[in-house]
Amino acid sequence: MASFRLLYRFVIRPMARERLRTVLTVFAVALGVGVVIAIELAGQAAAGSFHASMETLAGRADYEVTAAGGVPVEAVGRLATLAWPIRVRPRIEDYGMIAGDLRVVPVIGVDLVADGRLAAAGGEAPDAESLMAADAIWAGPDTGYHKGDTVRLILNDTERRFRVRGVLGSAAGGAFVLDLGSASRLLGRKSTVDRILIESPASESVLRAVLPPGCELARFGARTEENRRMLAAFRWNLRVLSYIALVVGAFLIYNTLSVSVVRRRPEIGIVRAMGATRRAVLGAVLSEAAMLGLAGGAAGLLLGRVMAEGAVRLVAATVDSLYVSSRPAPIEVTAAIVAWAMAIGIGAALVSALTPAWEAAQVPPTEAMARGRREYQARVRRWRNLGLGAACGLAAWLAARQAPVGGRPLFGYLAALLLIATGVLAIPALISSLASVSAGCLRRIGAEALLAGRSLAGSLRRTSVLVGALSTAVAMTVAVAIMVGSFRQTVLDWMDDRLKADLYLRPAAPASADRHPTIRAELADRVAKLEGVAAIDRFRAYEINYQGMPATLAGGDSRVASRFGRRSFLGVSNPVPIFRALEHPGTAVVSEPFANKHNVHPGDRLRLPMGARIVSLKVLGVFYDYANERGYIIVDRRTLLRYLPDPASSNIAVYLKPGVDLEAGRRQVEGALAGARVQVLSNRRLRQEAIRIFDRTFAITYALEAVAILVAVTGVASALVALVIDRRRELGLLRFLGGSRPQVARMIYYEAGLLGLLANGVGLLLGMALSMVLIFVINRQSFGWTIRFHWPVAVLLGVLTLIYMATVLAAVYPARIATRLRPIEVVHEE
Amino acid sequence: MGILRFERAGKQYSTDGQTVTALRDISLEVETGRFVAVAGRSGCGKSTLLNLAAAMDFPTAGRVILDGVPTWPLDDFALTRLRRGKIGFVFQSFQLLAALSAVENVELPLMLAGENDCRRRAVESLRRVDMDGYENRMPFQLSGGQMQRVAIARALVHRPRLLVADEPTGNLDSATGDHILALLRRLVDEHSVTILMATHSLEAAAAADTIVRMRDGQIEQIQEGR
Repeated sequence: MASFRLLYRFVIRPMARERLRTVLTVFAVALGVGVVIAIELAGQAAAGSFHASMETLAGRADYEVTAAGGVPVEAVGRLATLAWPIRVRPRIEDYGMIAGDLRVVPVIGVDLVADGRLAAAGGEAPDAESLMAADAIWAGPDTGYHKGDTVRLILNDTERRFRVRGVLGSAAGGAFVLDLGSASRLLGRKSTVDRILIESPASESVLRAVLPPGCELARFGARTEENRRMLAAFRWNLRVLSYIALVVGAFLIYNTLSVSVVRRRPEIGIVRAMGATRRAVLGAVLSEAAMLGLAGGAAGLLLGRVMAEGAVRLVAATVDSLYVSSRPAPIEVTAAIVAWAMAIGIGAALVSALTPAWEAAQVPPTEAMARGRREYQARVRRWRNLGLGAACGLAAWLAARQAPVGGRPLFGYLAALLLIATGVLAIPALISSLASVSAGCLRRIGAEALLAGRSLAGSLRRTSVLVGALSTAVAMTVAVAIMVGSFRQTVLDWMDDRLKADLYLRPAAPASADRHPTIRAELADRVAKLEGVAAIDRFRAYEINYQGMPATLAGGDSRVASRFGRRSFLGVSNPVPIFRALEHPGTAVVSEPFANKHNVHPGDRLRLPMGARIVSLKVLGVFYDYANERGYIIVDRRTLLRYLPDPASSNIAVYLKPGVDLEAGRRQVEGALAGARVQVLSNRRLRQEAIRIFDRTFAITYALEAVAILVAVTGVASALVALVIDRRRELGLLRFLGGSRPQVARMIYYEAGLLGLLANGVGLLLGMALSMVLIFVINRQSFGWTIRFHWPVAVLLGVLTLIYMATVLAAVYPARIATRLRPIEVVHEE
Repeated sequence: MGILRFERAGKQYSTDGQTVTALRDISLEVETGRFVAVAGRSGCGKSTLLNLAAAMDFPTAGRVILDGVPTWPLDDFALTRLRRGKIGFVFQSFQLLAALSAVENVELPLMLAGENDCRRRAVESLRRVDMDGYENRMPFQLSGGQMQRVAIARALVHRPRLLVADEPTGNLDSATGDHILALLRRLVDEHSVTILMATHSLEAAAAADTIVRMRDGQIEQIQEGR
């Protein structure tokens, strides 16, 4: 009880007395925790979503069979005749688009006669009469459709009208369900299914023995695991970025507690003189930190839940366009998330409180007799710190040269952390040097500027922490801006190089990294024969599994590509010989992300399941590609058709004859496609769309940086309030010496301005170094993309100006406090 | 005509709903070139009187006229200008800015007033208080007496009409305090500076031309010392 009373008097009451600072500090921690929680929740929801879509009506199963280009239906018969108790459920899994509202929905084909009971659980069982109807479809309860409704679905290149024959049970979720026969016909699966689910006690070897060689048998759920593994790098990087705001928040807790300890040294001295042990003082400061962390963690949890709503949309959109078909699952705040929010809030607070708490514990009882905080100069060993910083810089350089660990750029992250440490440790020496260099210049500006500069240099420790926090946030923003800007420019250059056709055709049905709806071969033939068309390149993509990771196998016309198109290969200046060689069967080219992920080089051989066979392909070259992170293996179209004979195309590049007007050519093509749901995109439109997706993908990184900046600016505001309170005597004295209120306010603005300038300068330099680590180490080791360095000058200028303005605006309230101080009171306080 | 005149001036404060009378019915005239000491015990109203004299505060009754200008009802800006031009301040605890060197502390009032030639005038002011050679020392490198000399140089640098000193020897040992009083006396005698000094020490007050004895917010006695 007594210790609680002491805790209340020495910890809680002072926090309540300085309400504004406490609230600002808690807010900064809450933002840091909130961002981490939001990203965690969004990542979980997005990662869970493909599971939800794919497993519609899957029920219980032991194994699943898949194959590149589909599992031959004969496999169903072979499995069913095994002398084991077995239940075989073939499935077709695709997506369609509702013609009215353009909503993308899973369209699943199952054997409704055999699986009717499963589908109906909690809903309506399909009746025999409906199963016979050509336009029959069943709706999941979350589709919003009812029995008897008409639904128009775009499947591949065709719009089809269905009548909802019933609403299935909750297992059908937001999907539309077709009987297997209809699905096979309408979705263009000729004698193949997409997956076979097996319930059987038979061993894998028994089952594998009856399957065609190209089929892959795996434990049920393995595909979901593969997708999760594929998403790991993306989620991991996002998670790391989300912790920046928390790190910045930790700087601010450190600052708050350091100031608090310096201010309360006489008080601590008195308590020590009255018998308090060093441990008690240490405990009191750590308790203060824990309380800030607890409040920040709790508020951060709520904030995180709110921010997750926005984050999940962005994350899910990125997952969908770069990795795997997904629809966000509901956001779930579990007990583990609650515990994590509290743990990181309190953990960050306690770690940042260690030094101030230790310093507080060292205060001797004689401090009670001292004249107070003015006697105490917080020592900053700036030159020793600079030396340590140089050592960290060297260590960062060494870490950046290390290979990834288990596919993760752990040394890259370490290099980034060490670089931040380099910057932070160099700041005190930098401030001291700049203060002496700029003294003359500040003096010329006026007394307020001189005083502001001197005051910052005079309270070196506080200034260093503030500049450290703000410059870390600025540096990460600059680094991400340079990385994204470089990536964007690289993608633009790549598109310039890659997209040479005049028009691009793709089915209206929704495509994504793992969804490749098709255009019928007869439509492509019609376009190829048009008068204004010089050539078409039919591109067909299939989802495959290579070494336990999803990848895309595709076929294109090498002759057309070598004549019209271009693809840049790593280390190759003229790609034409590669295209020529690609015409030979048994050859392939692979994309850079695929090569990096699977450690594949030109000359290596790949063994790929294609249809019912395993095919060996020689790698001719590695091409630059930024379309998705799964990675491509591209073969010539004739090679592909040999094993997977479906002639439909996933998309078609159309080259017009010289002199044919683009609009006239487009009209011809649209005429040839009349009645089909195929999008005809101009080269320009395709690029615009690609850049739109790119910008959407990186919107979340900008949002994360903005939060980190907000945390840092909050810290500046909080620190300036503290500064005004601590220096009220000086501010009052200025009024005695003839300083006006506007002059006092100007001094505070100059201080904020100088802080912003220092932080922007350090942040820019540090950000440049960090961007190198992001581009050449972390990004390359995580995603396998080569990004060419590019300066996004306009973006950087805009971002730095915004940050600078925010820093100066953070001084508005502290300046107001400063001008309202009563000089007589504050000067005579001591 | 005097540089400073109190006409039945009074000052009341309201604290937590209670009214406290700090000064009552003060009438006093300070002539140019005189050294006036306001003496009395702690809480007798010396500092309040100095604040009114220095245009840092307004009387709640009567008038305070500084160099012919009544301080009420001037606004904050006009009061600031009045202080800048006419008042110099010396405090008991020196009140030097720790981040500025001695000469920078001295030139601060000139810089705040936007004047030119600040450095030369500051150096000259330091010389007047026998602190030449200490220009670039930081406050923590100076003794108490030296700090008070720098503070006096700062108070005089803009050649004010009135130097207001609040217990200028209060934080000094007696020998150093005597030196500071001798310096103030010399400034009056040789440079015709007008000084209004608050002190609780009758010994210190004896250095002045006029001693104003105060008790409970009122003037008890005005005694011509020299």
